[in-house]
Amino acid sequence: MAATQQSPDQARLSIYAPTVTTPSITRAGWSIYCAKTAILKSDEIDQTTERIKIPLPEMIFGNNHVIVRHDASGWEIGFNAVDALDRVDKHGNPDGGLVKVSYSEAWLKDKAKSEDGVHEVVKPFDWTYTTDYRGTCGPKTTVFEKTDDRIPLHKLRRPDPILFFEDIVLFEDELGDNGISMLSVKIRVMPDRLLLLCRFFLRVDDVVFRIRDSRVFIEFGDNEVLREYVVKQDTYANVKRKVPFTTRDFGLFLRDQNWVAEQLPTIEAVTEKAKLLPGHASSDVR
Amino acid sequence: MPGLTNGGAIDLDSCIERLYRRELLAETVVEAVCAKAKELLIRESNVIHIKAPVSVVGDIHGQFFDLIELFRVGGFPPQTNYLFLGDYVDRGYFSIETISLLTCLKLRYPNRVFLVRGNHESRGISQNYGFYSECKAKYGNSSVWNYFTDMFDYLTLSVVIDDRIFCIHGGLSPNVHSIDQIKVVDRFKEIPHEGPMADLVWSDPDPDKEDFGISTRGAGYTFGAEIVKKFLHVNNMVHILRAHQLCDQGYQVLFDDRLSTVWSAPNYCYRCGNMASVLEVSDTGERTFNVFDAAPENEEYREQQALQHNTMTEYFL
Repeated sequence: MAATQQSPDQARLSIYAPTVTTPSITRAGWSIYCAKTAILKSDEIDQTTERIKIPLPEMIFGNNHVIVRHDASGWEIGFNAVDALDRVDKHGNPDGGLVKVSYSEAWLKDKAKSEDGVHEVVKPFDWTYTTDYRGTCGPKTTVFEKTDDRIPLHKLRRPDPILFFEDIVLFEDELGDNGISMLSVKIRVMPDRLLLLCRFFLRVDDVVFRIRDSRVFIEFGDNEVLREYVVKQDTYANVKRKVPFTTRDFGLFLRDQNWVAEQLPTIEAVTEKAKLLPGHASSDVR
Repeated sequence: MPGLTNGGAIDLDSCIERLYRRELLAETVVEAVCAKAKELLIRESNVIHIKAPVSVVGDIHGQFFDLIELFRVGGFPPQTNYLFLGDYVDRGYFSIETISLLTCLKLRYPNRVFLVRGNHESRGISQNYGFYSECKAKYGNSSVWNYFTDMFDYLTLSVVIDDRIFCIHGGLSPNVHSIDQIKVVDRFKEIPHEGPMADLVWSDPDPDKEDFGISTRGAGYTFGAEIVKKFLHVNNMVHILRAHQLCDQGYQVLFDDRLSTVWSAPNYCYRCGNMASVLEVSDTGERTFNVFDAAPENEEYREQQALQHNTMTEYFL
């Protein structure tokens, strides 16, 4: 229920402790901390389930994270699986808005005939793990406010040297082989700017595609951070229709997140800006 | 034509030798191998009774290097008897090499190698999760995928070890109380969405439940402690062995040692960092999990692949 959840802006006190304290790279006064390790062990899974209160995704990289921190001011934004999962609908009404697998109706109808005596849906929750997570802010992070500014794509299309790149999965679930739900973070640091993309990608076979992208853009010379949040969604059938008719291997396209992202219409998009506090000017760009 | 001797008979030993070197069989050889396998599998019951000692293997998912690592740990067939619990294809890079090798081993040592059907041994799933794409990429067409998926329809659904241990890919079904009910299922078809055949390859245990439940996804069952107890009692068995679910330590034992999950794909999807195991059932009925890590060959292969891909993915927007 929405009432028990914080708004994305308020999600600033993490219930999660970062594991990596040495930066993977420091550039122009900004440090990037990346942790990339194995899925949680069973005791860690038990502890995390206790806190999150829903069954965790099958592949849960609970110790992975990416944190972007401004060294001088302590301004930071981080991305981790636990905070993202804390924002999943944990009490979904099964007759309400929850997605069902494509053959659910037929299955339930057929089941009714078999008189197996099983009636109960086990602990309903949003099993697609759809999350509106836009990152976890630190205690010194200034508030993001709506802006008309946009992330300057033309600057990102330049083949500037990439000083640092990382691609980190936070969680993944195969939905009992009914598709995929995945949250991952990519980051690239160039001499004068950085871009981070946290993407939630969902495919429920024969039902729906969903993407929720959070992009963080920092131009090192400016004392501000841009964050863009984009929701995209379409039916499985609509996307499948766009697969080139020359191929019979539609799976190759439908598994390609970048191809799917280009096909999906945007439902919602908002760009926000956070100003770094004065007196905390970033150090000069080398 | 390598692999075929005069008169079109298959030279299985040379096929197996090639496959151990990760060389593909020619399309015509795969066709012949699958045809032979169907002739063999059609004679197997839906419930095969075998004797220990036997080593039981969980999901492999095309992780060929790790299958070889498993043989290094558990012994190569036919020195060790093997029961594979399904999910040979999809997700990993070498589904064709994996299923080709396992099929040839089955044909060569039919009483020492047993292959159970997993939910990925189906047209619907393997078209979506990698096996189909791999066949198109490596053979240039989908014939090989057709040969293998036709053969999948003949794979057995369950195995019983020493009349004591019941083995399936997924789990129990509310429509199967007695093992005899499995024997009458018409299994020679694509895996349906519902019914006992679907449940046996799809369902999952739920350690927090007593009874059957319906999955929150809107189809499929979970089964709890009481169901397991009752099933073992009715069928006079002591243990249920299954695969189907990722375990970070390579295995999981539930319900007071009445059910085990065995998982045999280490570092699943080449990124999970999990361990894998193979379960040895001794002739006295003892169960020992031999845990193993990903094969070193994976890393070399990944470095080769990375060289070809990197710059593309780094310039994401």
